[in-house]
Amino acid sequence: MMHKPIITIILICFLGCKTDKSHEKSVDLSDWSAVEAQGQNQSMNMMMWKGDPKINAYMSDFVLPKVKSQYGIDVNIVSGQGNMIVQSLMTELQANKSESEIDLVWINGETFYQLRQIDALYGPWTSVLPNAKYINFDNPFIGKDFQQDIDGYELPWGNVQMTWIYDSAKVKNPPQNKAELLDFAKAHPGQFTFDNHFTGLTFLKSLMISFAENPDELYGDFDEATYQKYSQQLWNYINQLKPYLWQEGEAFPENVAQMHQLFASGEIWFSMSNNDSEVDNKINEGLFQNTARAYVPDFGSIQNSHYLGIPKLSQHKAAAMLVANFMISAQAQAHKSKPEVWGDGSVLDIENLPENQKQHFQNIAKRRYAPQRSELDQNALMELHPEYMIRLAEDFRTKIINP
Amino acid sequence: MKLKLYPVLIKLLFGLLIVLPLVAGLSYALSYSLGLSGLLTKGFTLDYWLKALMSKSLWMSFLYSLSIGLVSVVISLCIAVSMALSWNKSIQQGRFSYFIFLPLCFPATVMAFLVLQWLSPSGWFSRIAFELGFIHSLNDFPNVVRDFYGIGIIFCSVLLITPFFTILMSNIYRNENLLELEKLSKTLGASSRKTLRRVTLPILFKKSKMTLLLFVIFVMSSYEVPLILGRQYPQMVSVAIVQKIQKFNLDDIPLGFAMSVLYALLVILVLVVFGKPSRKYLKPNIK
Repeated sequence: MMHKPIITIILICFLGCKTDKSHEKSVDLSDWSAVEAQGQNQSMNMMMWKGDPKINAYMSDFVLPKVKSQYGIDVNIVSGQGNMIVQSLMTELQANKSESEIDLVWINGETFYQLRQIDALYGPWTSVLPNAKYINFDNPFIGKDFQQDIDGYELPWGNVQMTWIYDSAKVKNPPQNKAELLDFAKAHPGQFTFDNHFTGLTFLKSLMISFAENPDELYGDFDEATYQKYSQQLWNYINQLKPYLWQEGEAFPENVAQMHQLFASGEIWFSMSNNDSEVDNKINEGLFQNTARAYVPDFGSIQNSHYLGIPKLSQHKAAAMLVANFMISAQAQAHKSKPEVWGDGSVLDIENLPENQKQHFQNIAKRRYAPQRSELDQNALMELHPEYMIRLAEDFRTKIINP
Repeated sequence: MKLKLYPVLIKLLFGLLIVLPLVAGLSYALSYSLGLSGLLTKGFTLDYWLKALMSKSLWMSFLYSLSIGLVSVVISLCIAVSMALSWNKSIQQGRFSYFIFLPLCFPATVMAFLVLQWLSPSGWFSRIAFELGFIHSLNDFPNVVRDFYGIGIIFCSVLLITPFFTILMSNIYRNENLLELEKLSKTLGASSRKTLRRVTLPILFKKSKMTLLLFVIFVMSSYEVPLILGRQYPQMVSVAIVQKIQKFNLDDIPLGFAMSVLYALLVILVLVVFGKPSRKYLKPNIK
């Protein structure tokens, strides 16, 4: 009797090793009605970052019920972002799988760059979506992702701008330029820092652009000489700032969530976010005190978009397209842009929407603790090519963290 | 028939569930690090191994992890031996045992966050010190998490492994009849101090040294605790490797695998040199 469970476990191990024999399913992109017919009544997996309760609620309470009722599609949301998406899809490709576990991914520029490097994305597919014609592709903050042409391999879903967050009860005049930031840090040592991940690198990119007389010098493909010229100035500046940062610049928060915790507990007076509506969200959630405010310094901050991609090996591409099409509908985009829902910027060209769809965007309450999008747009900088971020991340480690 | 089949099945299961994934994982990492696999590979190369071997920061990570492991185990050992010798009768029985073994209930991540809540400048102790007027601002509190010496990591590791050591020492004490040996030693004229130094501690150490070594490796290789309580430099080895593999540059993945294989080889070398573990003392004493 004792060995029966062991035999069962061994059998399960062997039976679990399924050989993948299925083949990539093709979608007829010439006819949307064929896509609708093919994609209905399926179950599919979407991998996305699940670190924000409001975003999770938007997906589970709004998007999922709508696509279920409209198309009979069951969307299973799987937690994962950036490198996890890349690792998952890379593993599937390396294992010669013909069927991906993931059908739709939420990505941004650096992940798009990596996924294109390993040829893990399906495309071009976005032009078949009826709602894609309302996307403002002429806007370079939407039509280009980290200076890369999206070429129909990813679909713009939302648009955000990086903001600095400060406690207005402690900071009366937040620094507006590099000199003021240095003076402020010297006067209030230990109250400012930036994280060692994506948001911190976005901050460093903004600073680096500010050293250039014309930001266009850094736009376009990666250029070694340009990088050397401006990164040297950046590291000189950061080294001046370093002794006055949190923990004297010897340690940095590992990610923006840690930085928010430090800010919420009063250990630092500044935080940052790549989502310009974050301060409203966090105050509404009770994490930040209502004295928190967001702003963009005079030298600007990076505005970028986030996108939806379909893995090359997805077996539910048509269903993923139906879901994506709903997610860029005026109804879904307007609901998402409400501060009490998520506050995410729309990628649609609202002026060109039909009147019956334009009404979705009317009477949306304004955000209370961050500048309005029209103000932020005045100081928007474009994302740089991903190679700049790779080099900044490596040089930050060798020149600042461990010089 | 059953008696013969059972050990074979156990060995087969061990091979399938433990040895095979381990060997497969190491082989994959090795081939990746040599450019023999991976989507972006350009063919066989030793470049990543040379980079790993020449990397000052990697060797610093090894040394830093080793020192954190050694210090944590020595502190835990001192506490565990003191507890096992002082309270041997009650340590595995009654309500007291619940208190001693309570930290075993906490996963490493939870314990690390707990330590962060206690010891960070905005943590409980800092706030209490501030309210009592010992410090003028929260940032005046001594920096013991994310610090250069890894005090937060050591503190958390000690909390996590001391209960294991207490069980281990307590079991060795009983199984080796140390109480009787101590009595005999004293009957022959040795003082309590001499008995401790010449009889009790040498036996405890001799019987547990392999297990202690394994725990040094366990702490050295820990990931969640240094991720939460550590800093970017110096960095413990698991965090350094994972960041190499998972950050923004896909070309760094083979280097991360070379680092991980190198670390695995060093650990295997240490284990081969120091012999077999004394497994029988890891079982709790249930009566």
